[in-house]
Parts: sequence; structure tokens; C-alpha cells
Amino acid sequence: MTKALRINKSAEEGLKELLRFLLDNGKVKGIVTLRKTGKDGAVSYSLITNPDDIESAVPLFPLMPVNLAKQLSRLTLIEAATEPIAVVLRPCELRAFVELVKRTQGSLKNILFISSTCGGVYPLEMAVEGNIGEHLSEYWKAIGQGELVPNIRLACQACEYFMPYTADITVSLLSNKGIEEETTLFLNTGKGESIVEGISGKFSEGDLNTTTMEQIRSKRKAEKEKLSDEVELRNLGIDEITKTFSRCIGCRNCSKVCPVCYCHVCFFETETSQHGPVYYERELDEKGCVNMLSDTIFYHLVRLFHVSTSCTACGQCADVCPANIPLWAISLKMAEAVQKAFDYLPGKDIEEGLPITTFVPEEFAGIV
Amino acid sequence: MVNTKQGATYSAEEGVNEGILSFAREALSKECFDAVLMTAKMPKNDSFAHVLIADETLLGDACPLCPVMPIQGARVISSLTRYGKGKKKIGVLVRPCEARATIELAKLGQLDLENITIITMDCPGMIPLSDYFEDAEKGDKVFEDAFQNWNSEPMRPVCRICYKFSSAGAEDLHIGIMGAKGGSILLIPHSPKGEDVLNKMGLSLEEDVNDWEASVNKLTEERKQKRNQSNEVLRSDIEGIDRLLETFSACINCHNCMRVCPICYCRQCHFDSDNMKFSFDDYLTRAEARGGLTIPTDTLLFHIGRMLHMSLSCVSCGMCEDACPMAIPVAQVFTLVGDRNQEAFDYVPGRSVDEPLPLKTFEEEEFLEVEQSYTGVSARQENQND
Repeated sequence: MTKALRINKSAEEGLKELLRFLLDNGKVKGIVTLRKTGKDGAVSYSLITNPDDIESAVPLFPLMPVNLAKQLSRLTLIEAATEPIAVVLRPCELRAFVELVKRTQGSLKNILFISSTCGGVYPLEMAVEGNIGEHLSEYWKAIGQGELVPNIRLACQACEYFMPYTADITVSLLSNKGIEEETTLFLNTGKGESIVEGISGKFSEGDLNTTTMEQIRSKRKAEKEKLSDEVELRNLGIDEITKTFSRCIGCRNCSKVCPVCYCHVCFFETETSQHGPVYYERELDEKGCVNMLSDTIFYHLVRLFHVSTSCTACGQCADVCPANIPLWAISLKMAEAVQKAFDYLPGKDIEEGLPITTFVPEEFAGIV
Repeated sequence: MVNTKQGATYSAEEGVNEGILSFAREALSKECFDAVLMTAKMPKNDSFAHVLIADETLLGDACPLCPVMPIQGARVISSLTRYGKGKKKIGVLVRPCEARATIELAKLGQLDLENITIITMDCPGMIPLSDYFEDAEKGDKVFEDAFQNWNSEPMRPVCRICYKFSSAGAEDLHIGIMGAKGGSILLIPHSPKGEDVLNKMGLSLEEDVNDWEASVNKLTEERKQKRNQSNEVLRSDIEGIDRLLETFSACINCHNCMRVCPICYCRQCHFDSDNMKFSFDDYLTRAEARGGLTIPTDTLLFHIGRMLHMSLSCVSCGMCEDACPMAIPVAQVFTLVGDRNQEAFDYVPGRSVDEPLPLKTFEEEEFLEVEQSYTGVSARQENQND
């Protein structure tokens, strides 16, 4: 059984109470969470150090403006956190950060991770249209009942990994009918347990209801199958791939927002992959015409190949694609296959070695 | 700017696009170029890309007047010639803003124009990429209808206020569409290269271009007014640090505006470099000093830095806005700032390849009113004392 803390407030308010408690009592020096920043309702992540500013925090707001893993890497790349901080993030962000730490792109040290059973986030497009507010009551109703939330990111609709693996504290949201009145926080680690000492709330023992979680998982799985069919991913041969990526405008924003694409300079932006006039003219002589946006499929395939073991299917790539390419579905298909082959789930366990750096003398003998 | 008074009429009975394609086909067969570069429809029929075509029989899917800007043409010309000119002579068919960006990149040493013949056309504008990718078939139709009567309403916001939609002046050959006689287009040369094309094609300069000129000038004036009005409205929305912060508050710091920008050619942007990575203590100190630190950090600094770097060469092509996932009016903001900066230096990007870049031109006495001397006395005052 896990220790549980109940606070007599709605999930968001209860969580804010915890955050305020942590800052007020000097348990952490800063808190990274979503916060209302723009007058017209723009929401961004923020490093909050003043307890009074917790009021403007919206830790459970269903939007992922950026994948926080990438930002945590930025915060802890040069040096690990020198003072304790708490971070509120989604399970896919937490998993991606664990992957980045395995890739020496950040450090877990001094960070308290607070995550939740995640109902998903709305597409960035909805933030652009400015109408997430109108959907919030529908969102929380569906979450409390453990139903799929309509209109959330397709990647979220298809997500089976909505429970955090390595969070110190988990906020129970999915299928929790009391989220409007009471906040349930599972204290998964010793760190989680000790840091809340002194907070006013009810302590008990409990666990997430595995049957309910399984039910949600099967709903998501069914949704994933349906959505994969809609984007015609079943038989993704070279012809379909060529057509799907023919819309690509070569901006590579998918890689820029991807938490796992951490390379300082992407191979496709190096001198090595630039073509000179000799290349274009040779192609022209051979084929009579050349698509000047060369190597797009090459780029996408290599990117898929590079990120597939660590991809946590956050869907950020698809959300920022100016050409609406269903990148979430393509990445997910690739990631699932590769992760299954290596029996590896990214971000599940910090101790588990990356498949790409783990040498197994006898592996995939069938294809060697 | 129209600086030629004569052109050649070219038949376009099956429509402007077909007319331009016939011209390209004939130019290839008469060896005016070894290849042409223009936009073409991709196999799935829902997107466009720039294609270099040498075989005239492959011009079938080409679509010089395409409804969207998938990539800024200047970037494409830069990819082609950044590492030096090739052996082949290439005619590039681009929009006026792409031609102007091409001229800027030539001055910035990012492409080689020697074997390139720049051909522009009167531009009806382009529809936003997001509209097109939502429904390509509808996008094609909306564009076609708008093109028929030069209606800019469905076009991108910066296309609606563009008054440089026609000849840029620095291109080799311009294709006049507005006010051309029914079923024809006008070929107006602006350089010896352009004249050479017409000579090889056996076309002589007989047609006066007054009608075209009059139509262009009329719309230019209308658009100039519209642009001034639009700039004024935007200015009251964004002026001052608070409003500017608010304008960019939704920015997710993806830098896509920079990556699709034809002028932002740096291989490694300062804002992506190690110079912009700080230690944890730095971030925490900044947060403590202000009570909070928005993450990603330094988003407004990035936009202001980019503005400072490229606004003198900004051609208001709108690509940045098309590529912004948060639909921030980047291109409109940069148009406003660009217009004012360019005016201050009396500089028009893309006007002439011989016009030096203001940043490379040292004037001993310039902007004295903003200069500050070490003694605390302004340079202007010092001058007065002399």
C-alpha cells in the first residue's frame, strides 16, 4: 500500500495548497508549473519562487505549451539543481525527462516530481483559438468519470501510459469522482512522504484502483486502433510514406520541439547533409527534374530511427507541424514496434539502460 | 517600381498558369535556360514544393501561381547556389517577395546569381498554409476565385497589405498579369539577361505597358494606404514592453519563424547556441529577483534579437507567421518594425543588388539624436558647440 494524503479542496486547489506549503516552509526553493501569463489566457510553464505567485498557477491546466522535459534539461544541463525544487508535469514529460537524464542531458538531483493520472491535453491549436476555457467543465467531468475526453490531442486519446512511473507524488485524477471536492495525493517515495510532513490534511493508505486503470487503458487502446485506421497507418509502405511526407515543408519543427531530439546540431543541418550545385545538376541530368526540398523522407526516417527507443508519444511534434502531418501516429507506430522489440519502456526506470547503449552479444540473431 | 515602358505580349489563352508554363516550356526548348525552378503540385494533390525541371515534358504538374508558399523561394535558390554557381543556367519563377529576399541573400553572400535568371510575376497573394492543409481542394478553389478578381480577402494578412506585389525592379524579367489584354500575359525585361531571353524566343518589345502599369499603380496606392492603416492599428496593440510581452506571450520558443525565414540564414542562431544556456543558479537567481521566471526563458529577447538582425532586409513574405504553431502575428509585427527601420535608413530590401546593406555602410554622421557620448553630452550638442 502507498501512503495517501487527502486535502479538503478540489484537485487543482489542493495541489496549489501543497505547492504553497512547500515554498512557505522552505522545503523547496522553487516550483516549476503551469501559470497564467498572458492577459488573454496564455498559459506557460514558470519557475515560481514567491509563494504568493502560486495563486496564478494552473498546475493541472490541460495544455502542454512545451514538453517540460526539454526545459528541465535546459535547467539542469550545466549543473544539477543546487537547491531543491518541485516540478509538476505530465507522465509523458516525466518519462521523457528520465530518458534525457539517461542520455546525460539533465539531472534528477534535488527535484521533487509531482505528476498525475493524466487525462490528456488539448491541442495547441485550441489554445490559439482561445477556447480551452469553454471546454474545462467538460474536461473535468470526463476525467472524474474516467471517460475519454473529447477533442484532446490525438496522441493523448491514444495514450496508454497515463500513469506516472517515477513520480514522488501522484495526483489521482482519472476516475476519481471526488476531484471537485477532495485532492488525493499518493506519496510514492520516501522523498514524497517526508516532504509533506507538517501539511494539514488527512493521511491514509491506499492505491490507485488497478481495475479502473485497466479499463481506461483498454478504452485508450481501442481509440488508438481506431485513430491509426483513420490515418491509414496499417500498411505504411514506402509509397504511403512518400505521399504522407510530401506535404513536409522541411522546417524540422518536429525535431525542435521533441524532448528526445536533444542533439545540439542535427545531422541534417550539418555541412555533411547540404548539397552543392554538383548534386542538383547530376540529379537533373539523371531524372530531368529534382524536388528542391530534398531528403525530407530521409530526415523523417532517420529522426524516427533516432528517437524511437525513447519516444514517449507526447504528440508535441504533430501539434507544431505546419503541414498537419499525423506525426504522432507515425512516431507512435514506430516507437511501439521498436520498444516492444527491445522490451523497453522509455522513462519507466532510471536504472534501465538505453537499448542503444546496451550491448547484448546474442540479440536479434534472426536478422543478423 | 516600374522602370521599363515596353514588354512583349505572350499568349495565355488557357489561363495565366498555363500561359506561364508555355513560356517556360518554350524558353527551355529555345535554350534560354538549362532548367527552370518553380513550384509544382505534389503527387497526393494536397501540397506544393519547388522543383527544378530540365525536361520540358515534366512541366505538367508545375504550378507557378500556386496558392501557398510552402518554402520561401529565396531559401531554395540559396540551397541551390550557396556553395557556388553550377554549370547550368536556371530560370527561377518566383513571387516578388521571394525575388526581393533573393537579392538580399545575394548581398549577404548566401547565393550566387550569375547563372540565375530571376523571373517574377504579379502576385495575387497566397492563402495561409493552415487553411490550405485543412482542405487542399477547397484551398485551390478559394485561391482560384480570389485570383480572378484580385480579391485579397482570403490571402494571408501580410499579402493583404502588400504593395510590392508586382515588379521588384531587380528581377531580370517580370510577367505582367494585371491589366494585360484578355488571354495574354506581358513579358517585361528589366536586365540584359531578361532581354536575352526574349531575343532567343524571338519576341520583340512592341507592346506598351501603360495599361498594366496603370492597374499596378492603382492597386499599389490602395495597398499602401491599407498597410499604413493596418500598421497604425497594430502599433497601438503592440507598442511598449507590456503590450509586446503580451503579443508574444503564447510563444513556445520553437524558433520556427526563424527557420523558415529567408533572411535568417545563420547556420547556428545565437539563441540556440551555448551562449544562451545558463546554469541552474542563474535561472533560480533570475526567478528570485522577479518572483518567477517564465519557461522557456528569453522568448521576447529572441524575437527582439531576430528583429534587430533581419528587419532591415525583411521583405514581409509572411512565411514566419505561416509556420508559427501559436498563430502569433509575427509577420505583421515584423512588417511594422521593418517598414520603420527601412525608412529610417532609406533602404528598400530587394530593390537593387547594388544598393549596399545599411549594416555594412558606415556613415560618420548618422542618427546623432540617438547617440550618446561618454561625456554625457550628446553628439549633437557637441557638434553644435564646435
